[in-house]
Amino acid sequence: MSRTALNPLELTLGIMTAVGGFVDISQLVFSGQAGSMFGYSLISAFAISTIGIMVYGEMCGRVAAVAHQPLFSLMRHRLGLKLGLVTLVASVLSTLVTTAAEIGGLGMILNHLTGAPYMLMCVASTLALMASMWILPFKWIERTYGLLGLFMIVFVVALVAMHPPWGKMAGGLVPQVPHGLSNKQLLNYSYFVVAIFSAVMFPYEAFFYSSGGIEEGWKPKQLLTNRVTSIVGMGLGSLLSIAVLALAALLFAPTDVAPQMPGSVALQTAIPFGKLGLLAALLGMLFAVGGAAVETCMANAYSISQFFGWEWGRHKKPWEAPRFTIAWIVMMLLALAIVLTGVEVMKLVGYAVVFSIVVLPLSYLPLMLLADDKSYMREYANKWLAKILGWLFFVIVTVAAIAAIPLYVLTAGGQG
Amino acid sequence: MLRRPLLLLLLLAGCSKGPQADLQYISSARSLAGEWALVNEQANQGHLTHAYVKTMRQSIRQQLQTNAQSLTEPKSGYGSEIGALLREPDDAPPAALRVHATNLKHVEDSLESA
Amino acid sequence: MRRDSAIKLVSQLLDLPLIDKDGRWCGVVDDVEFDGTPGKVTRIKALLVGPGAYEGRLPSWAFWLARKIAGTRIARVPFDRVENIASAVHLDCAAEDMNLNRAEDEAGRWIPRWGAL
Repeated sequence: MSRTALNPLELTLGIMTAVGGFVDISQLVFSGQAGSMFGYSLISAFAISTIGIMVYGEMCGRVAAVAHQPLFSLMRHRLGLKLGLVTLVASVLSTLVTTAAEIGGLGMILNHLTGAPYMLMCVASTLALMASMWILPFKWIERTYGLLGLFMIVFVVALVAMHPPWGKMAGGLVPQVPHGLSNKQLLNYSYFVVAIFSAVMFPYEAFFYSSGGIEEGWKPKQLLTNRVTSIVGMGLGSLLSIAVLALAALLFAPTDVAPQMPGSVALQTAIPFGKLGLLAALLGMLFAVGGAAVETCMANAYSISQFFGWEWGRHKKPWEAPRFTIAWIVMMLLALAIVLTGVEVMKLVGYAVVFSIVVLPLSYLPLMLLADDKSYMREYANKWLAKILGWLFFVIVTVAAIAAIPLYVLTAGGQG
Repeated sequence: MLRRPLLLLLLLAGCSKGPQADLQYISSARSLAGEWALVNEQANQGHLTHAYVKTMRQSIRQQLQTNAQSLTEPKSGYGSEIGALLREPDDAPPAALRVHATNLKHVEDSLESA
Repeated sequence: MRRDSAIKLVSQLLDLPLIDKDGRWCGVVDDVEFDGTPGKVTRIKALLVGPGAYEGRLPSWAFWLARKIAGTRIARVPFDRVENIASAVHLDCAAEDMNLNRAEDEAGRWIPRWGAL
């Protein structure tokens, strides 16, 4: 095995970027509603799904570093043209809806920050995102949004300041169904479990992380960096979502508030810290959601380019990978067009989560097969722990994928 | 005082697919009333920026309008309750908004146990 | 794997990306062309790259749609230009020599060349 290198600065930046970049609009919405409707009991769903994304994230980075090929390219090779095209179309559509949800979320956050009209802010934020993707190389795109997303830490500080019942929160780590739920509430609870798994394990994260590893030129000596970043970074990032859930249980549940709008989540930091807390929360949400919009858009451009064998990557100048550039511009504009039809952000979030979970098994199965394959991975193929956890989570996401659409319909998207 | 039992009576008398179909809008309206109350409460304490308060009230009102328009039985007791909520001024006292939330919660609980 | 090694067509060659001698991506192995007659040794003659090569691999309605969107272009890459096959097919020539990057060059005319760091 090659010697692994651990650059402390790179590692710190990588972890911080993963923390700040973990949360997106779906997680904000579902954390807020989950905490207010079911107390601390859904902390376990966040914890378990985070382990799942750690496992698959580490595998994606390892495949990128060892096989030097991104996930979607290897997926086409494994699935063939027909099934590969089905996966591509399903993945692009679900990720496009996710991008639209993020842009809608950005529009809302900017509306709350500035008072300017929502639609205008959606257009302005799309243009700003596109400008950042054009001007900045890959490393700086990732770092800018990831590090500025660290404003989200205000939610953790707010939680500590509110003196939560730590024992009850720890109890929430144990998978459970709260007592005394009616049949309807039980269906709602099941929907939230599925939705949280989807929001934490969105397929675009795997495609982005795998392509990002190649953009950054990862080799086997970066495997330890990859492992630490995906485990520590994603683990700490998950704490931000859990903090939002716990604050909702503390502040919203007693008054029967299940946030119907993303902006309500910022109240959680305004209550203990006033205007400064509110502004910090809105800024954190702005950059976290903005980063997610960039990631989802680029993930689609990566998938399309890699599937058809085009030049790709933001480590190149836009004119050095023209079809890839056109792909991300088109994806961003299509997402904006969806938002401009007037469909509500919360509905977009619901659609994004349901479509994504249906695509999850198709996305992660080739990853499992590739990471297991010694002809690509040599001595870096999955060992026993990665195999067990990988296949276990594959079964979990497949069950969730089958249940997602019926649960969405039966619960009206978790609302009844 | 009489509103709560009146709502329940109307609900029991007219219990059909209508109220069950409207449950999601009633839940949403109940929560929005609570969010509105929370915004006004925090605004009164000086914890929120002017832009945030204005835009949250606008968004809440818009969402409530959407819920009211989506009801299959707009002339029902809960429909009237949502209408009364919409007639509250933007800076309504939090306590008044929470009364609407409580009334809608009772309707919701009855529908869920039916 | 070298080009004269025994090869499993589907699992080790088909649908792999093509990378030219300068490290540029220039398509995917969409199909292969054989040389030989019945009863004789069969060898791979060329790799076929482009949407025209989807015919036979997709249902007819899907191929019709692909044709409408992307055309029927096929580029032939003689197999003797393959240097190495691993997780991608590495060529010993530039993409331009095989007419592999025409679409990329056409797209490039639409992209301004300023502003990026």
